Amino acid sequence: MQSSQKRNPLKRILTVRGAGQVITVTIGLIVLCAVFALLNPNFTSQRNLNNLMRQIAPFLIVGIAQSYVLITGNIDLSIGSVLGMSCMISATLMTRGMDPWLASAITLISCLAVGILNGVLVINCKLPPFIATLGTMTIARGIAQIVNNNMNTDAIGDGAMAFRDFFYYGKFLGIYSTVYIAIVLWLVFNFILSKTRTGSHIYAVGSNLEAAKLSGVNISKVVIKAYMVSAFCSGVAGLITCATGGLGTMDAGLSYELYAVAASVIGGVSTLGGQGILLGTIVGASVWGVMQNGLSLAGAPVALRNIIIGVIVVISVLADVIVRSGKRPRRIRDAVAEAVAAKQ
Amino acid sequence: MQEYLVELQGVSKSFPGVQALDHVQLNLQAGEVLALLGENGAGKSTLMKILSGIYPKDEGVTRVYGNAVENMTPQKARELGIAIIHQELNMCQHLTVAENIFLGREIVRGGRLARREMNAAAGEVLRHLNIDIDPETIVGDLQLSKQQMVEIAKALSTNAKVLIMDEPTSALTAKEINDLFTIIRKLRAEGHGIIYISHRLEELQYIADRVTILRDGQYITTMNYRDTSLREIISYMVGREIKEKFPRVDCEPGDVIFEVKNLNAGRLVRDINLSVRQGEIVGIAGLMGAGRTETTRAIFGVDPKVSGEIWLRGQHVNIRRPEDSIRAGIVLVPEDRKRDGLCVKLSIKDNIALPNLDILCNRLTVVNRRKKGTMTDQTVHDLRIKLPNADVDAASLSGGNQQKVVVGKWLARHSKMVLFDEPTRGIDVAAKVEIYNLMNELKRQGIGVLFVSSEMPEILGISDRIVVMCDGRITGELPIGEATQEKIMDLATRFESKINHATA
Ligand SMILES: Nc1ncnc2c1ncn2[C@@H]1O[C@H](COP(=O)(O)OP(=O)(O)OP(=O)(O)O)[C@@H](O)[C@H]1O
Ligand SMILES: [Mg+2]
Repeated sequence: MQSSQKRNPLKRILTVRGAGQVITVTIGLIVLCAVFALLNPNFTSQRNLNNLMRQIAPFLIVGIAQSYVLITGNIDLSIGSVLGMSCMISATLMTRGMDPWLASAITLISCLAVGILNGVLVINCKLPPFIATLGTMTIARGIAQIVNNNMNTDAIGDGAMAFRDFFYYGKFLGIYSTVYIAIVLWLVFNFILSKTRTGSHIYAVGSNLEAAKLSGVNISKVVIKAYMVSAFCSGVAGLITCATGGLGTMDAGLSYELYAVAASVIGGVSTLGGQGILLGTIVGASVWGVMQNGLSLAGAPVALRNIIIGVIVVISVLADVIVRSGKRPRRIRDAVAEAVAAKQ
Repeated sequence: MQEYLVELQGVSKSFPGVQALDHVQLNLQAGEVLALLGENGAGKSTLMKILSGIYPKDEGVTRVYGNAVENMTPQKARELGIAIIHQELNMCQHLTVAENIFLGREIVRGGRLARREMNAAAGEVLRHLNIDIDPETIVGDLQLSKQQMVEIAKALSTNAKVLIMDEPTSALTAKEINDLFTIIRKLRAEGHGIIYISHRLEELQYIADRVTILRDGQYITTMNYRDTSLREIISYMVGREIKEKFPRVDCEPGDVIFEVKNLNAGRLVRDINLSVRQGEIVGIAGLMGAGRTETTRAIFGVDPKVSGEIWLRGQHVNIRRPEDSIRAGIVLVPEDRKRDGLCVKLSIKDNIALPNLDILCNRLTVVNRRKKGTMTDQTVHDLRIKLPNADVDAASLSGGNQQKVVVGKWLARHSKMVLFDEPTRGIDVAAKVEIYNLMNELKRQGIGVLFVSSEMPEILGISDRIVVMCDGRITGELPIGEATQEKIMDLATRFESKINHATA
């Protein structure tokens, strides 16, 4: 038992929840980049790499959001709508002359409220997370439409220049500020997930709710916290969208909850809960961003792009299932046998 | 007046449709092992869940160290030094051993988890208990019995003064049970109080000081173990004398009806040849991991066969999937009810109907509700399953009654050959006799019965012929007249290396 302290560090990393897939997907990402670089030399230009990073950032932010919720064994379908709501609320407040920073704060607080509502519906009212967040998804989108009387807002104006630089246009050491925001969020939430008690409880709840409850974990608090993290990140992504366009658009963030699922799942976060690390979410979001960027540089038509990306998502999840079924063949086979017996 | 660690008085609890506990009392002193006994559904687990704060009680008083405690919660129970090992495993499969042990009371230093410290402390606890597991292993990668040991370590690591063990041994190997008893005796000597629940009454002689008996949610009596006998305990548990623990029915053995020829399926199923005659029960004995479960799974078609043939009533049947087997009339009552046997979120009725839908449906695959109801009633009646009504979730039954549902759903269709894998695990004495009677009834009807069991008395008491397995091979066969515990153990430990050694 003493040996555990001196165990091979690489082996130790590999035993960490789903780290195996992170490595395979990273290799895939590198191959993908190499292919795009060959197809179009512009892919590796300084300018494109900079843009690419800025493109990946929002995927990473909503990916963090979804990963938190998925690890607790739930799902958050309201991410895209909360993003849209954040974009519209902040822009509306700013066009009415409010200070951009105050407007941002108010926006984030209203997003957190949606997060709390999600958590309460799921864990206290015991609604299936798919249904509960489908409801809040519709509500949040409705709010995005109603705040400015069912219209996109006007330009947020010159008073908001500092705001727009902070969230999107500013550069520091040659890298766009959006990228820094994503990195800071990742560092903070990765720390919470991997190094704190709350993080530990998030894994436990996703792995076995009953066991966590019986061990004295306050499961409602944990699930609500995860949904709050999700709503907060979606809110920040909304502010970034607002800063990018310089106005509020009602359908901002459409389908982003699903991009977020993709970033998480490609990066090895299990949709069944209990498994996954945020390092994987970075890789997953990068795969997503690189595909978008690379395919458009390579001149692929939009429809084809969608098909290719969809195929990639299915393959990466399938690979995970196969790898895992190799490790514990009996369970998968049991499940199949049960299903067959059930059909009889 | 004796100081009690824990005192429960007049505790009642009802669930929709059942009075699970009706004014029950119990007390526990420091430095003793109190065995809590009763049939399936007597309310043992419910009482312990109330004591540890998982269920609220309807009425009654809980006193801990002499002070009344209101509104017990799991956190409060832990602070008071009450730890419970649950009947069903409750582990987070994705977390490490150390994370599970410290779940809910993680060590935090300056806002960060002190992982190294927790791993070291968990390692300490495991070493103390003589359990050889690395605290950084993922729990899902451990065998069931090892997971159970982790669960025990988790409870012990809280330094609890009061330790509740709800059927801790049902998934353990003989050696681990021995280790556990050593631990229990050590804890008792250190002044801990232990409440011990088990259906394996023969275990009591090694550890029990007093016994408290419940029946149908009622308190029956408390006795010193020394002053009583198993016979008396059983009669209190059941409310009547059980005349025969192993009822036997003699039938004239007829023709061979079921044959397995040269079956191979992986390392644990090697060259298996078996036959069952009409009117006989064949028992498969062996140690844990001898390949008995794997053999039944390979026959049933859950695991793929490498080679081998199955013959039923003189006909070769080709089984590649469970559905082939079911269609041919061969069914398997699996070992792990929670994982393989029950859909816990479906009602009892649906569970029983599930494998029998072919009988219950008309040609347009519409389920005949009336037939379904009749089938359920019949099964519930035949097996004396205790339930409020057949529409409740399978999860709400007591452990033993769940097992009866698993057995019952297969008996409801008229099969030709039934394989049982540990059919009486976690079942009380009276229900065991009912299952044995059922097996005898099948035998009388000319249906072949093959059953796997780790309990020696049961194998010896029920089988007409015993096949012994070791390390994936059949090492011998004994007619019941010649079988003894020693002979079985000898065959069960004939590992290949040993044989080579002996012949060299
Ligand atoms: N969560 C629940 N919901 C509804 N009924 C329940 C629930 N838990 C237990 N019961 C019922 O309460 C009664 C007592 O069950 P309990 O699990 O305490 O029995 P037990 O003595 O532990 O039996 P076993 O030996 O089979 O484990 C049973 O009739 C059971 O069906
Ligand atoms: Mg019980």
